[in-house]
Amino acid sequence: MNSQDILNRYEWRELIEMLPVVQDFFGGDKDSHGLNALMQGLAIYVEKTLAQVDAGKPFVWYNLGFNSELIWALGDVMPLTVEALGALHSCLGNSRITKDFIDEAQAVGVPADSCSADKLSVGAIRRGLYPKPACTVGINTPCDAQVLTTQVMAELAEAPFFPIDVPYYHNDETIVHVAGQLKELIPFLEENTGRKMDIDKLRESCNLSNQMSENLWEWLDWRKQVPLTQTSKLVGFTLFMQILFTGCQEGVDAAKAFAREARERTQRGERFFEERVRAIWYQDAVWTDLQMYDRFERELGLTIPVDVFGYFANQGVIDLSNMDSMLYGLARKLVDCHPMARQFRGDVDFYIGDAMRMLEDFQADCFIFAGHIGCKHAWGGVGLFKEACRRADIPLLVFEFDMFDDRVTSYDDVYFEVERFVNEIVLPRKQRKVA
Amino acid sequence: MAEEILREVNGLISGITNRHVDEWKTSGKPVVGYFCHYVPREVIMATGALPLRLRGAGSEDSSSGDAYLSSRLCTFARHVMSLAIDGHYDFLDGEVSSNSCDHVRRSADVFRKKTGIAFHGFISIPRNPRESLYAYYLEELRKLLAGLEEHFGVKTGPDELREAIRQINANRERLRTINEMRAEDKPKLTGAEALSIHIASQVMPPAAFIDLADRLIEALKARPGLDTSKGRLVMVGAELDEPEYIEAIESQGALVVGDLLCFGGRSVLAPLDENADDPLDVIGRSYFFSSSCARMIGDFPKRWDELKELYGKVRGDGVIFERIIFCDPWGADLHNIMHRIEKENSFPLLSLTREYNIVPTGQLKTRVQAFLEKLEIAKAQKAQKAAAGGAK
Repeated sequence: MNSQDILNRYEWRELIEMLPVVQDFFGGDKDSHGLNALMQGLAIYVEKTLAQVDAGKPFVWYNLGFNSELIWALGDVMPLTVEALGALHSCLGNSRITKDFIDEAQAVGVPADSCSADKLSVGAIRRGLYPKPACTVGINTPCDAQVLTTQVMAELAEAPFFPIDVPYYHNDETIVHVAGQLKELIPFLEENTGRKMDIDKLRESCNLSNQMSENLWEWLDWRKQVPLTQTSKLVGFTLFMQILFTGCQEGVDAAKAFAREARERTQRGERFFEERVRAIWYQDAVWTDLQMYDRFERELGLTIPVDVFGYFANQGVIDLSNMDSMLYGLARKLVDCHPMARQFRGDVDFYIGDAMRMLEDFQADCFIFAGHIGCKHAWGGVGLFKEACRRADIPLLVFEFDMFDDRVTSYDDVYFEVERFVNEIVLPRKQRKVA
Repeated sequence: MAEEILREVNGLISGITNRHVDEWKTSGKPVVGYFCHYVPREVIMATGALPLRLRGAGSEDSSSGDAYLSSRLCTFARHVMSLAIDGHYDFLDGEVSSNSCDHVRRSADVFRKKTGIAFHGFISIPRNPRESLYAYYLEELRKLLAGLEEHFGVKTGPDELREAIRQINANRERLRTINEMRAEDKPKLTGAEALSIHIASQVMPPAAFIDLADRLIEALKARPGLDTSKGRLVMVGAELDEPEYIEAIESQGALVVGDLLCFGGRSVLAPLDENADDPLDVIGRSYFFSSSCARMIGDFPKRWDELKELYGKVRGDGVIFERIIFCDPWGADLHNIMHRIEKENSFPLLSLTREYNIVPTGQLKTRVQAFLEKLEIAKAQKAQKAAAGGAK
């Protein structure tokens, strides 16, 4: 496979052609630093991928629960997440291709009731769209559904596979257990890519990762301000940045730009929509049409300061002192900071506890449980979550949809659910409280 | 005679408890429910408790479970939790859950918060059976054992664990014999009957099971063999503790002569060393390394080899894959099985998605019938080809 082979595939070509269009679109708003930097980062990511293919240098595939610092530290090895193509098409507004991948996966045995994030990965792999990997890494986070992606990736990649186990518990033993596996992963990566792990490169990669984390934390802090001055739809990109850019300069640049944008808008006191209701979007974003969030703001005065894809918990930066301290820090970031991986494992108390913390920290009025139909752990916890909200007297909306497939619940239906909740439940309640 | 014993077996598994469990309780001994095959029965038994595999048998509707787990979770988990929430599992002195899958994990939350069961154990099972992760699993077993000891106020040493190994080994020995009898050219029992006896082995005291199984084996020897000319099937897949489902399949004429199901063949591990110095390690290794569920990532090649081996051993004509709707791990295995079949042309496959506690006989029978016709046509074509080759 060379770059021309990639460019010959419409699934890549349309992505490549779309990037400058989207970049121009956001470039028009000189204050939209975050999205501009993100688009810039994506363009670089695609360029790097093409150059890597032409140079015949190795790729390492992984699934969305993993972070790529260790792979960057191998030098000229390129990390590639198998969700990339399907997810990027969807969030750049071309969900037709994402749905092609979903249909492809279902046609070859992946059950329709599975998570579409898994289906879009399987579809892209089955179509042979990714450059062959030297090896693959699979992790059982953020949720059980990832078992599907990892098993299928291991089967189809025809390359050695290294599974990482993240236990159930939220404690230090879990971090040590995962750090031990990262240590085990290093010789595996070295053997299969033919590259040597360089501790200085790892330090450099972890340092970039730390800078990205600090900027993300600052960004989230600005989004705690009332009213929100930066659009709701941006926050979910935290997960994308973690998956694609952690440990490289593009990640730092994008996170810095998002933080700067939020800071500047807040300091200028910008209010381009009237905030009437703040909600914690607990669960998956509407990736099929992010413009819906703009409509929420414009028509309902609803803002989403944070969602579960955007919540990057602050557990401290990676200690760069030595190999063990870096592996420990990377493990902690994987299991306790990485969006979703943190809440989507373990017991329901942790899941609910994080929701309540977000509600308080981001000064929200209510929860919107956007129930992605493939998200079994979330649906399995919904009864206890409802009870917790009732006890705490917090309004909660629960609805079913698919984050990457609007054939399950249409745009209009999602909007209708949210509109009714805001206008008929949350706003009257707020008014009653004021009265 | 065999029919009479099989009726007795069916009586024992028709609900979530039975007279043996009642007698055990009456004698003042505890009963501990467990969800997943990766929770070793030997560990529970060593503390003097009776391990009882959690099931949804007898559940008429899952509404209480649905209220907490929603309608998007596995119906097996929802029925089990409905029974638990409604108090039907209140006779349990404890329950042990695990992170086997998201459905069991979330059921554990509901168990803790919505039932009055006194002891809640939990084990985090590593997602891949490799040596470097085994220590974590073993430590989880140690913690579980310590938790049970503390709760029941008993001290468990190697002797108790060895005794538990002996008893479960004896159970499995009977099941192996039964599995051999079902795989004969003219099997002595149906797949549904075989599953029933496997289920019984997991819901009654081992000594009582041995007595039952020995009587059954003797009776089966005298039973005339069954006809398999309509097809010898192998079943593989997730949780299935409803013999009536296999009965509906077999009603079309074929027989299920082997299986790799969670309650069935996969529960029959190789004999464990009864005299080991460290019996907990022997138990841990056996469960962790020898029995692969689709929740184990990166272990599909082993499961595939096991399936092919069983298919060859029982001289199968086709494979039926079954999965309860919403199960992601087995969804991945379905894809991978189909992929291997595409590559290797290994065997004909029928894939069934089902709901717990509902045997959709009409639809199921039609699909099985069509599958058996396909097998018959393939057989006839093969025979024709062979005859044509011989004529040349």
